[in-house]
Amino acid sequence: MRMPRRALAAAVVALVLPLSACGSGGDDSGSTDASGKVEGDITFQTWNLRANFKPYFEGLVADFEKKYPGTNVKWVDQPAEGYADKISADAAGGTLPDVVNVSPDLVAPLAKAGLALDLDKAAAKYKKEYLPGAWASHEIPGTEGTYAFPWYLNTGPLFYNKSLFKEAGLDASKPPKTYDELFDNALELADKSDGKVATLANVPTIEDFGRYGVELMNKEGTGFAFNDAKGVELLTRYKELYDAKALDSQALTATPESSGKKFLTGAVAMNPGSALDLGNFKKQAPNLYKNIGITDQITSTGKVNMYVMGVMVNAQTKRKPAAVAFAHFVTDAQNQMSFAKKVAIFPSTAGSLDDPYFTKEDGTDETRVRIAAAKSLKNAVNYTPVLFSEQMKTELRNSVAKALQGKVSPEEALDNAVKACDRLLQQQG
Amino acid sequence: MSIAEKSRETVPAAVDVPRRRRGKRVTDEHGKHVRVWELALRYLLLLAVLALTVGPFLWQLSTSLKGPTEDIFSSPPKFLPGEPTLHNYDRVAQTIPVWDYAFNSLKVATANVVTNCVGAALAGYALARLRYRGRKVATLVFILAMLVPVEGIIIAQFTTMRELGLNNTLIGVVLPGCIGAMNVLLMRNAFLNLPYEIEEAAFVDGANTWQRFLRIALPSVKGTLAVVAIFAFMGAWDDFLWPLIVLSDPDKFTLTIGLNYLHGTFANDERLVAAGTIIAVAPLIALFACLQRYFFRGVGEGAVKG
Amino acid sequence: MTSPSSTTAARVRRQLPTSPWLFAAPGLLVVGIFILYPFVSTVVNAFTDRRTLIPGEFVGLANFRELLHDEMFWIGLRNSTLYVVGVVPALVLLPLLLALLVQKNIPGIAFFRSAFYTPVVASIVVVGLIWVWLLDERGLVNSLLEAIGVGRVGFLSDQWLLLGSAMAVTVWKGLGYYMIIYLAALANVPRELHEAAAVDGAGAVRRFLTVTVPAVRSTMVLVGALSSVAAFKVFSEVYLMAGPDGGPAGEDTTLVMLVQRTGTGLTGRVGYASAISVVVFVVTVALMLLVLRADRKEDA
Repeated sequence: MRMPRRALAAAVVALVLPLSACGSGGDDSGSTDASGKVEGDITFQTWNLRANFKPYFEGLVADFEKKYPGTNVKWVDQPAEGYADKISADAAGGTLPDVVNVSPDLVAPLAKAGLALDLDKAAAKYKKEYLPGAWASHEIPGTEGTYAFPWYLNTGPLFYNKSLFKEAGLDASKPPKTYDELFDNALELADKSDGKVATLANVPTIEDFGRYGVELMNKEGTGFAFNDAKGVELLTRYKELYDAKALDSQALTATPESSGKKFLTGAVAMNPGSALDLGNFKKQAPNLYKNIGITDQITSTGKVNMYVMGVMVNAQTKRKPAAVAFAHFVTDAQNQMSFAKKVAIFPSTAGSLDDPYFTKEDGTDETRVRIAAAKSLKNAVNYTPVLFSEQMKTELRNSVAKALQGKVSPEEALDNAVKACDRLLQQQG
Repeated sequence: MSIAEKSRETVPAAVDVPRRRRGKRVTDEHGKHVRVWELALRYLLLLAVLALTVGPFLWQLSTSLKGPTEDIFSSPPKFLPGEPTLHNYDRVAQTIPVWDYAFNSLKVATANVVTNCVGAALAGYALARLRYRGRKVATLVFILAMLVPVEGIIIAQFTTMRELGLNNTLIGVVLPGCIGAMNVLLMRNAFLNLPYEIEEAAFVDGANTWQRFLRIALPSVKGTLAVVAIFAFMGAWDDFLWPLIVLSDPDKFTLTIGLNYLHGTFANDERLVAAGTIIAVAPLIALFACLQRYFFRGVGEGAVKG
Repeated sequence: MTSPSSTTAARVRRQLPTSPWLFAAPGLLVVGIFILYPFVSTVVNAFTDRRTLIPGEFVGLANFRELLHDEMFWIGLRNSTLYVVGVVPALVLLPLLLALLVQKNIPGIAFFRSAFYTPVVASIVVVGLIWVWLLDERGLVNSLLEAIGVGRVGFLSDQWLLLGSAMAVTVWKGLGYYMIIYLAALANVPRELHEAAAVDGAGAVRRFLTVTVPAVRSTMVLVGALSSVAAFKVFSEVYLMAGPDGGPAGEDTTLVMLVQRTGTGLTGRVGYASAISVVVFVVTVALMLLVLRADRKEDA
């Protein structure tokens, strides 16, 4: 009776011991040299693009394989949810694909861990093909280099509900242009509707502070600075809105989806969006679509906010020349342009935005929004610092919430948030 | 309540007489009569709970049937689709290879049911009925395993799977949950509740451990086995994060991952998402409808006949 | 050895050269390799400053000391504890009543049984969406409340109402789950017991207390243990209703939400999150012991 048990124990030990629970990055090949023959098998991972753009990507892969005989690209696509978790597991387990679709906040930790290839070294010759602002969006403060090719960009106008404006006695053809006008209109809408109609559905995020003209980080990128006078001013004004119910009462727990829905159901009067939302309104809420108003993003800096998607190369790829060539191929002017024509996003390549597609009116709302966005993109900024992690976003949102609830003053709230974010920044190493 | 009512019927036959005259003869599973007012109360309660449990799903079903021109965000909300259509289901199938994903899910879920039923029954029997040194330790191992907060171990699990060379395989998806600690404890509980006398008789007759387990104990816990089966199927069918992390190859994706593609990168179509959720839930409800009668089988009955 | 006769036992052993360990081995192996062994690494990590992509260094009890001063940790501990207190009594009692309600075979009962199980099989994401929609400021529930003159209630904006709403959803979703565990147990209750009680003239409530409850007591303990562990580890319901930040200013954060928030993603503080995981584990072990101890006392 005892033997089997001992045997069992031995079997367990034998099975368990060789397994290391710690995923190390593996051996770092260190080289950033991407010269050599473009050949071999590589894997390319995108983020939630398969359902709608399968033919486009299959064509892209086929074109590349034709251009470089001897290459074989395997395209995998990950669904919307859990992308950061998936990349974390792959990065920790050493199973990251060769070419990966990333956003700037994902690039930063991967670059610091030595998992993203420095393109200033490996692909400097391609730099001039991209808009300078877009190329710079994958630079990481405190670290030398650029760690992803810029891919598609997005930005958009501010939508507003004309019928709600009219009901409050406001001129629906004169939407707010400045922050002062925005806050005044919001207070009036709330007042006239007895607090039933809010104008904004979200608490200010880091990009809102940026757009308001707040200096977000110090010059060296070693600490946050959004607790300056300007930042306190913005938060104080939001507190006025919240108290007057001009900021939705559920704003403290809102997500982008929930606030989008609030706009669709007419519970809030304004919502930021993009050209893509127009089609969405038309389909999901035809009644709202009839009353939709479109105006420019409000900024104090003159530069609108943009979102950047990138394509990075795994620093440990065994097929560096092919991986770099493919990442460049996906993001080159021609392929970005044809992708942009499939869905309302914008290419990050220099000169592409001068294409007639982005400059010539044809009378539809979609085109009008697209042209305005393309124009504003030329000097747009990705306000969200690449080092601003999910954990920091939570710290900021929770501090802002405390200020809005009146539990702490706006100054104190922002001081706390900066302190917490600085600590997290140091812990990121 | 129900048991109480049931037993009341066994007492005097005289009580039955007036009801018989009324011509209402509803009987329970033992062929005994049930009073009309009791029955009415019972249905009233059942309907009340029904409204609470399925109401929200009917709304989801209704959304999935709404046509492309209907305002699904109108206020007040409309419960019935104006122009009901199955088009959204068609679109789901066009957007993603829903059958391939469903087949992968079916493979994973079926494997999970088999391994859990077999593994949990064996281990549960060992914990409840067999005598050996270390039984308490073994029980403790399962209890501790049930308590481990899985949210914190998923990356370590993935690294283990990679070392075993099982990442990006359906086996890797099944393995960590293939014998759930909770299922083992459920089975243990079921075996503990069996009257010991029955097995003892077999023991004296010279049946060995394996025979006693297979012929006597196991048939008596069919109800709990059905519970384990449905929990195992459901767990595998609904799981999202683990298959997502283990699998890289889209050909191997399970239905929950696949349906997540319906949440568009650029725009969300509520009708499509609603249709997707109905597709995901329907097989589970069907499975439950098939298995539900096993939950109601008498254990003592099974033991005597088995 | 409690075997009835050592000679039979010896014979059995001769016939079947297997050990009871063989029965338990598959389960022990799976649970050991895929649950307990990874958890050992979590325990080790709790004493390091490991980040997702940066191997950690040993820091002793620093993570646990930090916990003591982390306001969010105490909020999480408070909410997870409240969740147990609020949810467990309901989940021990209501599913038992529901099981009694659907136990009897009356026409159409199969339909009701399946229908009551639907909340269990539905994905929690869908359930969250539906309930958020129902409890929204302009949702169905508030429209009803306004119609009867109560006025609108901020179910999704007040921190306590949010926690209460999430508890209600947990109970709602758990009803069918525990109902079938009770059903399996109720099937074991010999009918003769009830009949005897009925002859004695016991009323429905008394029979419930004197016959049903004692007969399914071990199952009630099991349900109590399972539901308290699940309640303490609550994540999805609160995450979906109160948002990823855990409600206004994070006041609805639970411990497991905190593990997820601090530990996942590429910038996750794996070491610190592991320390919270260890606390969660220790508390659930204590909860389990408490329930089992209560069980044993009643036994005596």
